[in-house]
Amino acid sequence: MKILKSWLNDWIDIEDINSNDISEALESLGFEIESKTDKTPNYKNILVGKVLEIYEHPNADKVRITKVDVGSKTYEIVCGAWNFDVGAVVPVALPNSEIKDGFKINKRDIRGVESNGMICSASELDLWDDHSGILKLSSETKLGSDFSTIYSSNDTLWEIGVTPNRGDCMSHLGIARELSNYFNLSLQENSNELKPNIESVIKVNSGRIKACNSYQSIEIENFKLDDSNLNIRYRLSAVGVRVINNVVDYTNYVLHDIGQPLHAFDRDKLFGTISVRFAKDKEILKTLDEQERKLDTNDLIITDDDKPIALAGVMGGYDTEVTDKTNNLLIESAYFDKVSVMKTSRRLNLISDASIRFERGIDFNLQKQGLQRFVNLFENDQDIFYSNIIDSSKNGITYNEVKFRKYEIEQILGVELDDEFIKNTLTKLKIEANVSDTEIIFTSPSWRYDLERPIDLIEELAKHYGFNNFASTLPIGNNLNSKGDYWDKRLYLSKILSSSNFYETQTLSFTDSYSNELFTPEKKSVNVINPIDRSQEYLRTNLLSSLINIYKFNVENNNHSNRYYEINNVYDDSNHKIFKHIPNQEYSLGLLIPEIETIEDDRLKTKSNDINSLTNTIKKLFPLCEFEQLSRPGFHKNYSYLIKLENKIIGYMGKLSYKNKSEMELEQSLYIAQINTENFEFKQLEDNIYKPLSPYPYIKFDLSFSVTHDFQASDLIHLIESILKENENNISIFDNFTNEKTRNLGIRIVTRNYDKTYTEAESTQILEMIVKEAETKFKIKLNRRAENAT
Amino acid sequence: MAELNFDKVLASLKLRLNEIVDEAEFDDVLKEYTGKDSLLSVERKKLSTLSKDDKKTYGEKLNNVNNSITSNIKKAEQEFINKKYTSLENEENEDITIDWITRSGTHRHVISQVMDEVVEIFASIGYKVAFGPEVETSWHNFDALNTPDWHPARYESDTLYTDHNLETLLRTQTSTVQIRHMENNDPPVYIVAPGRVFRSDQLDATHSPVFHQLEGLAIDKNLKFTDLKGTLEYFVKQFFGENIETKFIPHFFPFTEPSAEVLVKWNNGEWLEILGCGMVDPNVLDHVGYSKEYQGFAWGVGIERLAMLKYQIDHIKNFYENDLRFLEQF
Repeated sequence: MKILKSWLNDWIDIEDINSNDISEALESLGFEIESKTDKTPNYKNILVGKVLEIYEHPNADKVRITKVDVGSKTYEIVCGAWNFDVGAVVPVALPNSEIKDGFKINKRDIRGVESNGMICSASELDLWDDHSGILKLSSETKLGSDFSTIYSSNDTLWEIGVTPNRGDCMSHLGIARELSNYFNLSLQENSNELKPNIESVIKVNSGRIKACNSYQSIEIENFKLDDSNLNIRYRLSAVGVRVINNVVDYTNYVLHDIGQPLHAFDRDKLFGTISVRFAKDKEILKTLDEQERKLDTNDLIITDDDKPIALAGVMGGYDTEVTDKTNNLLIESAYFDKVSVMKTSRRLNLISDASIRFERGIDFNLQKQGLQRFVNLFENDQDIFYSNIIDSSKNGITYNEVKFRKYEIEQILGVELDDEFIKNTLTKLKIEANVSDTEIIFTSPSWRYDLERPIDLIEELAKHYGFNNFASTLPIGNNLNSKGDYWDKRLYLSKILSSSNFYETQTLSFTDSYSNELFTPEKKSVNVINPIDRSQEYLRTNLLSSLINIYKFNVENNNHSNRYYEINNVYDDSNHKIFKHIPNQEYSLGLLIPEIETIEDDRLKTKSNDINSLTNTIKKLFPLCEFEQLSRPGFHKNYSYLIKLENKIIGYMGKLSYKNKSEMELEQSLYIAQINTENFEFKQLEDNIYKPLSPYPYIKFDLSFSVTHDFQASDLIHLIESILKENENNISIFDNFTNEKTRNLGIRIVTRNYDKTYTEAESTQILEMIVKEAETKFKIKLNRRAENAT
Repeated sequence: MAELNFDKVLASLKLRLNEIVDEAEFDDVLKEYTGKDSLLSVERKKLSTLSKDDKKTYGEKLNNVNNSITSNIKKAEQEFINKKYTSLENEENEDITIDWITRSGTHRHVISQVMDEVVEIFASIGYKVAFGPEVETSWHNFDALNTPDWHPARYESDTLYTDHNLETLLRTQTSTVQIRHMENNDPPVYIVAPGRVFRSDQLDATHSPVFHQLEGLAIDKNLKFTDLKGTLEYFVKQFFGENIETKFIPHFFPFTEPSAEVLVKWNNGEWLEILGCGMVDPNVLDHVGYSKEYQGFAWGVGIERLAMLKYQIDHIKNFYENDLRFLEQF
């Protein structure tokens, strides 16, 4: 919302307060400063003059010659505008003056007649956009005055954010009320009593509808549709309102001045009684913008005896609007319920200055003052006739007293506020209150919807006390030992993967059905009913497609083939495992390793990966995990495994199927895995138990066994570990030679006794035992004993 | 007596030493000139045949020659070794301005890094990480957070729903975790909840349908507005540096009261909003059935916003495209 310093000054005397101090005040009261502009005239040496004579130009039809009196002297000026007559008071740019943007005005010959400058339009003086001709001023303006002195040409404009709970601050009066406490100034009374001089013609009955608490109107006769005065037009255009004519301008002015939206009807187009009701389904109203609106039963409308005449609080009807043929007016000033206005304006996408104010809630006692202000403004310019205010209010809104203990203030804020501050603030904000030693009893004023509970008033006091005036204390929470299982797991996984050449990605959670069905056809997807992009309406059931997309993107765009991981949710339509009424969501880890990997050292060639690169990574993450072969959709027939941790399935992994590789137009195979981090606990990952170091020398055997193709090397390692379980061991596979007929597995055993040095004989005995047990248990055969050391 | 021409011996030694190509030869030369079969040794054997005076004189002379030979060899050996090392080091002359390893980041996504950093700061003052679902009920996302059913935030133009009755949705704020956590845990509560939130926005320079927030919640006996201020000032200083200026300005959120926004003064003098916060509204505590003796505060901070400020990233799309050129910078 835009506010003008000179306009605020109508309500509180802030002329001498520096505008930076006002900015600070506004901000500390909760009005975010979106911008602050110091306004200065964008012209120089413009005077006020009066047109004394007008005559034809001898050589041109489109311009006229005027004689203009600027107080001290009379000048001949050629003018191209036709919207004025003799007697018009106008802004004049004499030679040596400047109009908008530094454009210099000098004497000029116009088709053989010397013109001593120009008569200016509002646009030429950068006041507002107006192409209808020159700017006409009040006939009472003193001739020869410096134009910049006849309105607030040096001013400050703020654009501020008003929070949704503060509808009462959507006007200059509302802001001034808040500032009056900050600067300790008193608020002016700006409405004059009316002296009605005609009888009203139209009956008004707002009916029993709750959505309209108050409907008041006034009728005006003998008015002339004209420009409103300079000051009104200056202010409205400064706050971003288009100036149109006096009737429209004054309704807009009242709205920005005190926050009461008004609507002007052509009285002579109304028949019978004005009333308020909800529309019938499919009822039609043609609104001011000439659109036929199809209404429904949630739309509050104003009607006369014949027809709907306005959408309450949103937009007036086309048939009853004020035109240049209008002779008599009926001005509506009403209170409409915020929810009703909001529903209609959002549904029809009709958002206006009025609807915004009704939506936030206007003062339910302001309707009369709105009409008074309107008539006061009109009276200033013209001798008009007007009726009594017709009041069809129900007084259906009352606020109860709220009572609370004063110590509650300290309990919430941590600071005790003294009585004088409290009393003074409440007085300035016009909140009726009784402050005793122990209690505060208050009643919210008619414009404050946000003061229903003790906490609401405590907030109000805190705000006016100034948030930055509170002390700061640092309480310490009760969780100093752990960040929580969820976060510990995330950090653990990230730490290992990021140090193993994986790049972490963050991709959007949306996908298409193809990507979900590719790897997880068993899961039913959750879909967004109002997606941003119809092709991405599903929530992903796996992270694999996202990882592959990122992999492909970076191969294509950066020619880099890298490892990636992502830790995020996957979703499916089954029931959530803990919470009711929401779909299942699993916080998961996705991994991708390409067959050929770009190495980060440019001197080296690429690195080749195989299925073991993936299993190694997973083993590194989950030292106690085991793999179980199981063909899954999207995966290679053999290279497809479940990952189990302590007999619980935590995920699956394998190689992308050749079919998918080809369909996705990938040049390389990919090794991929997805793990549900909710299926294990952080403590299951901690395999880091200290193994004591034996002081005795090691013995080492390199053995080569002939094994079958489906033999699992880990079984052999586990067997040897169990045989040597009393020792400090290091058992590893150093060779796995495979051809069509045979497979040889090379295993290295390094072991130390904790109590002694092995003799040659003991060493041989151990070796023989291992070979014998291995051969018996697995039906494998020792090829050779490659080496047998000390 | 015919004395050996020692000058000649030393001259020949010099020539011999010049010919050396391998470090091991120095021992051979020493043996050659002072060993058992050396000329010096032959001369020494003659000493016993000399008179006492001559023996003394010639003996001393032989000793001097011996010392001179030994020291010449030692010196030559030292020089040889030094020369060898110098030439080895001379040969090693890499151009260190070449970056063979050009990708230097930590391999963690910048959003995760910023989340970790924020979590770490709050963990250091006793907060634990809590976690809640991303597809939520409308009740948890709005009603429980004091946002009535006519509130504009609930319109389909802003919020992504997953059922036609508008009962489940993609959460628009991590504040939902406050409710989930309080429903399942008794006070006191000191938690932070980092995570994804969703809005109906196209991915572009300034918007994303997915972004990250971190929600904080402290509920205990006697937590006050002054504690809220102290806690968030601590965070801001930890994250942006000790000298950062902070201010609190009043704001409005449906589920806190009083509510505030925290602004920090940036290098260019501009004040930037980085946090929304407030004292938890009594209605929210009622919804989860906490007793009246407990109260506290909550805050929310945008992770992308912090990352953009900290690393001067100007394009939100960068975060979600995962272009390696972006990923490897952090």
